[in-house]
Amino acid sequence: MPDNAIYYRLAYAATLLLYAGYALSLAWRRARLARRRGGHV
Amino acid sequence: MTDSPSATAPSRRLDPVAMLAALAVVAAYTRAIWFTPPERIQGFAQKILYVHAPAAWVAFLAFGLTALAGAGWLFLKDERLDRFAESSAEVGVVFTTAVLVTGPLWGRPIWGTWWTWDARLTLTLFLWFVYVGYLVLRGAVDGRESRARASAVLGILGALLIPFIHLSVYLFRTLHPMPVVARPEGPTMPPVMLTTFFFCFFAFTLLYVALVRARVAYAAERDALEDAARG
Repeated sequence: MPDNAIYYRLAYAATLLLYAGYALSLAWRRARLARRRGGHV
Repeated sequence: MTDSPSATAPSRRLDPVAMLAALAVVAAYTRAIWFTPPERIQGFAQKILYVHAPAAWVAFLAFGLTALAGAGWLFLKDERLDRFAESSAEVGVVFTTAVLVTGPLWGRPIWGTWWTWDARLTLTLFLWFVYVGYLVLRGAVDGRESRARASAVLGILGALLIPFIHLSVYLFRTLHPMPVVARPEGPTMPPVMLTTFFFCFFAFTLLYVALVRARVAYAAERDALEDAARG
């Protein structure tokens, strides 16, 4: 069996980072909106 | 149709769909890494299939729904459809990025090259460009109605690439592997790998649903705030 585990580990790490990063960006954008909403009231 | 600011006030509670999706994704990675054997010929690199193929499915689903929502907006002029289309396109770009990152990571050990200008790979890259362009267009057009109309048209046209990408392995001479599951003779994978494969499809589809729900909620809050600022 070929020794190529590094590629799959990189692929799994990259996808996890991508999805988690996007979810965090959404949470950050919503928090920023909430702060703006607080400034309006 | 617009939502009142109170109807779109942000909720501090965690979305149960998001919690379920996070659990499903963790379970999918756990099963793929520790409870699914590597394939004999390709070795561990074959496990990239469990994140690559579901990401491609979700990208197609996301852009297909973007096109449907865009078409719906053209008929109904309902802002909720435009917000859904915008959200689904953004999440679709994230999943297409995952496809374009994981594909070369599989290609390098199996094909001996990170990239080749094969029909499926090239068309998938074009799909990514079209929907990145869709998101850029949305940021560049002022006025909600103009923005929704222009992006609905682009969203529909972009989705026309999807059947070509799906059929590219049959229509063109291509390096990309033929389907291993959706084939008339039945799947070629052993049951343990097949279970992981389908579970990953389920988990990443659920992740799509959770991310789109959060993105739609953000877009609704943003629009309500804009309306309130305008008076």
